[in-house]
Amino acid sequence: MTVGLKIVLAAAQILTVLSAVAVTFHPNILYASIALFFAFCGVAVMFVYAGADFLAGAQLIVYAGGVTILVLFAIMLTQWLYKSKLRDIRMRVVAPLALIAPALTYGLCVALRGLGDHVLKTTPANFEAFSSAPKTMPIGQALLTNYLLPFEAITILLLSALVGGVWLARPK
Amino acid sequence: MSGLASGLDWLTGLHGYLAVAASLFVLGAVAVISRKNAIGVLLGVELMLNAAGLNFVIFSKYRTAAIDGQIVALFIIFIAAAEAAVALAIILRFYRLKHSMDASEANLLRD
Repeated sequence: MTVGLKIVLAAAQILTVLSAVAVTFHPNILYASIALFFAFCGVAVMFVYAGADFLAGAQLIVYAGGVTILVLFAIMLTQWLYKSKLRDIRMRVVAPLALIAPALTYGLCVALRGLGDHVLKTTPANFEAFSSAPKTMPIGQALLTNYLLPFEAITILLLSALVGGVWLARPK
Repeated sequence: MSGLASGLDWLTGLHGYLAVAASLFVLGAVAVISRKNAIGVLLGVELMLNAAGLNFVIFSKYRTAAIDGQIVALFIIFIAAAEAAVALAIILRFYRLKHSMDASEANLLRD
């Protein structure tokens, strides 16, 4: 990877984390969900760099295009946006969390660093070639051969989720 | 200058990805715990699912150089979409019942 590409990836990573901070701590839920859109886009860029081009497309379509719009719809339908009572973070919980969360992140990072070091020792030699190859065809083949049963199960799950969603949100 | 370059190398390698995924997961968990708004809780869950998918993708690149981790991440995306649809339907229903988005008001089953 050239330095320019690395800078783009680092910018996407920093954008993702900053947007996630806004999602978690912004007092206005509308701005939090807009920040979630940017976090999803940052993760999509990271997917591209990790060699998952198809997943990046799915991420943009399903998350950034679908879930964010759905959440925005729900917010616009239910909240009186300019009503003053939009602060919704439990301050009683945030104070102990502010102590625990950095420790938890640090512990998680240490554990993942050990795991990462272990994985890097056994990384296959062809991983750069793997990550630059297109993934649409292998994913399609895998979904219809090795992963056929989960694929069919997920279709039933999606169908029942759609029907259930319509049934739950039905007018009285 | 070389410190900056090595920092860039660290951030764009396996460890940088893992650090980003860990912070996404913790931030999502904090949102789930600290948000009162039911939609805020949902946003936190989405962040945590994204972190898990990111870890699957990055480990499949560095560990096996095979497609399987990406398939799991794809299923995570599908399940997150189904979950978001059902959760938002429940939230809309709840709002119609209580005229509020406060998740702590969902106490009908409490004695």
